Amino acid sequence: MVDVTEHHEESSRGLGPASAPVIACEQVVRSYPMGSAIVQAVRGIDLTIARGEFAAITGPSGCGKSTLLHLLGAVDVPTTGRVLVNGRDTASLSDRDATDFRLRHIGFVFQRFYLMPTLSASENVELPLAEAGMDKRKRKARARELLGYVGLGDRLDHRPTQLSGGEQQRVAIARALSNEPALLLADEPTGELDADTGVRLLELFGRLHRDGRTLVFVTHDAVVAQAAQRVIRLHDGRVASDTRVDARSGA
Amino acid sequence: MRFMMAWATLRRHPARTTLAMLGIAVAAALLLDMVMLATGMSESFRSLLLTRGYQLRVSPKGTLPFDSEATIDGASAIVRALRANPDIKAVSPTLGATLTLNGSRIPSAFTMGLEQAVQGDYTLEAGTDITRADSAADTSAVAPLPRIVVSQTFLTRAGHAVGDTLTISSGLDAQLRTAARSSRVVISGMGRFIYVPGETPVMALDLALLRQLLGPGFRDRMSLAMAESRRGDSASVEAVRAWIATTQPRVTAISTETAIRQVEERLSYFRQLAFVLGAISLGIGFLLVATLVTLSVNERRGEIAVLRAIGTQRIGVLQQVFLEGLLLTSAGIIGGLALGLVTAQWLNGILRDFPGLPSAFDFFVWSPDAGWRALVLLLTSGTLAGLLPAWRAASIPIARALREEAIG
Amino acid sequence: MRAIRRGVVAIALGLATASPLAAQPPTAPRGIAIDARMAEDLGLAVGARVRISARPGEPGDSATIAAIYERKADPAEVARREYRVRVHLDQLQQLLDLDDRVDRFAVGTREGQSIDSALARINHVAFGFRAHKSRDVAVQSSRTFRVVERFHTAIGIITVVASAVFLLCLLLLSVEERRRDIAALRLMGISRATVVRAIVIEAAIVSLIGSVLGAGIGWIASLLVNAHFQQLYRTPLVFALLTPQIFAFATGLSLVLGIGSGAAAGWRLVKSSPLSLMGR
Repeated sequence: MVDVTEHHEESSRGLGPASAPVIACEQVVRSYPMGSAIVQAVRGIDLTIARGEFAAITGPSGCGKSTLLHLLGAVDVPTTGRVLVNGRDTASLSDRDATDFRLRHIGFVFQRFYLMPTLSASENVELPLAEAGMDKRKRKARARELLGYVGLGDRLDHRPTQLSGGEQQRVAIARALSNEPALLLADEPTGELDADTGVRLLELFGRLHRDGRTLVFVTHDAVVAQAAQRVIRLHDGRVASDTRVDARSGA
Repeated sequence: MRFMMAWATLRRHPARTTLAMLGIAVAAALLLDMVMLATGMSESFRSLLLTRGYQLRVSPKGTLPFDSEATIDGASAIVRALRANPDIKAVSPTLGATLTLNGSRIPSAFTMGLEQAVQGDYTLEAGTDITRADSAADTSAVAPLPRIVVSQTFLTRAGHAVGDTLTISSGLDAQLRTAARSSRVVISGMGRFIYVPGETPVMALDLALLRQLLGPGFRDRMSLAMAESRRGDSASVEAVRAWIATTQPRVTAISTETAIRQVEERLSYFRQLAFVLGAISLGIGFLLVATLVTLSVNERRGEIAVLRAIGTQRIGVLQQVFLEGLLLTSAGIIGGLALGLVTAQWLNGILRDFPGLPSAFDFFVWSPDAGWRALVLLLTSGTLAGLLPAWRAASIPIARALREEAIG
Repeated sequence: MRAIRRGVVAIALGLATASPLAAQPPTAPRGIAIDARMAEDLGLAVGARVRISARPGEPGDSATIAAIYERKADPAEVARREYRVRVHLDQLQQLLDLDDRVDRFAVGTREGQSIDSALARINHVAFGFRAHKSRDVAVQSSRTFRVVERFHTAIGIITVVASAVFLLCLLLLSVEERRRDIAALRLMGISRATVVRAIVIEAAIVSLIGSVLGAGIGWIASLLVNAHFQQLYRTPLVFALLTPQIFAFATGLSLVLGIGSGAAAGWRLVKSSPLSLMGR
């Protein structure tokens, strides 16, 4: 096991010093009511993710992986502790600011893709761009570019029902990349895919990482987690281990 | 993009959306009909009363025009006095009675004695108009017969045609089996009688001739007079009405507005029905939109949470869902307005069968005003119906919804 | 022919208080009957002396209120505010200078006699009048109600159509909302027929409860409607009535629509494979 001590360089996107972590969690606790009980999904996590890192958060079901991801993505706020994304304390953001923050700095990919079934692939990618106020012509061009990047340049007008699971997830990735976020978060991105498709998706993630993006994905599959550069294993709401995966050493 | 997404969301479930639109259309149709009913009767009656421009009706004291068989004595003095008033442009005296017919398939017919030059009770549709009893001044040896104008119903039921002659009588003596007074007349024309029920056979002839037929007792009588104010505005009409009330104590003068109010009072049941049914239809439309949008939001909690997660503001989600409700309402309204016009024709046809109703009277009257009112009411209802589910959608807790979706 | 000569007489009654009784030739006052509304409005009681005349300003006759009667609840006249007075025939004829004239006769045939033959005989000798069967007159005079009845039926049809669409839409939505539950049942091995039956039973119960509630609301509404219009028109006429037959019809129709809607909605869902219902 190797502690994470190095910060990786990435091509600057004007989002702060290259050495500053993209994510910093300080004693983060998140509890919520479930029925009559209070569940502590995250129990005091300290964590930093550097710019350009490719990290996987893994662990058994119910260990708090998705909750942690939601905290990192400013979708949720910690009960106690701080989550700093790009230096901003997510708990201090109003709902409006948090939403805007997610729009511009965070890209989400979900297990079930969550594409709008009534929109085409291109229109799904355009959604965040429209929300950010980009005009139609530019939106369409950007969507075309992104879909080409993920290998779906010939599927612009296809609806989700006309796409395979892998293709839908690629569209979701293109959507997540539309506003050039500092951070890409994925919740069980291969969960709904077969093994081969999952492998191809992870290869895309690898490419995104090589292109300088910061990625964090959650998976319950330890094998899938090995695709990342760094594996953070959670157990019962705490970090059980934080391992750097050396592709050359295979450790 | 929001509009496109809202419309696309509605199209996701075509059966349910179609049913909802149909429900809203029926509710919209009913509401439009009730708005037309609430305003139509008075509008129809007003245009009926003002067809020939007469804004005032003068009837025997304490009665409504032709509400009883009472007549006004000293008619010529009253008419002279009215015509002498510079604020009065025209006066049309009318006497109504039932005369017996000889040589017809019907034994009698309602008869109106009028002055042809000023009459406002019928419009001539075929043939020539009535003549004065003494206007048969020509050089021929045989005086031409007095002319009468009859309604289409008269022609049909009496078995006559324009050009036919017949004998009209009054003062029948059952024992002697004779009529006190008779006159041979010729049907010179067919007219549309504005105030007489369509099913009533009616004939119009010169006032002097009718008085002559009814006998000495009716020499100077009339049932009603219509008066037209010279200026025509409501203040002038009211001034003339007040002047008549002051100077002619044996008669009652009623303006168009008063007559409308009195008819509305008699037909108040329909206004109340219109209000109740209109409110019910608004309620149905409201419930339908609110239910559909609420259920649609409940089904899409995860999707909505994702929209919020990828950066859609609350207001954006609210607009999205709100638009769905509004689109649904609008689509239903378009169909409903068309359906409403059709059902209004149907319902109007039923109610026009009321006995004793002037043939030109309608219950359901289309006007742009009625259309706008119905549209505004429906859009308001649809707007309000979509607001609460839209607000709930915008307030979905993102993390919890995503969690529940993951579990589900 | 409208019997409105009474109206003329009634109007003249309004001037009765102004007429100086002492100046009139002495006549034994005869009895007249007035309707209860008139008695209430004009403050007249049995025994009161009034003067009746054919035209305003005429001396007329002195009369005594011999009776106050309640007008029967005639729907044809419910909106008319006129008063009604009953006078001896000869007195009215005398007042109106009508000699031996009447508006109409009511004729009753002897037991066992044919109405048609009596009608034919009267019409054979009639001059200036005709005889009609009471039933035919009733049919003619009830045209107003037939029109109102047809109108209400039409409104009822529209309301039923709207309710049917509404019910179908709601049931469809509520069934579709539970598509995953239905999918789970199907995956467990529950047959289509059982699932549809359960949905139909639920729809029937909802319809039944709904129609009972609706009947309750309708009954309360009818009480309010009757109270309002009876007060407005001062009549004992009943305007809205919820009968067992109407309740049975409404409930039956509601059940039919509910069961039909439930069956259609349920069958629509169970036709799809359970996995597609799960969203897979």
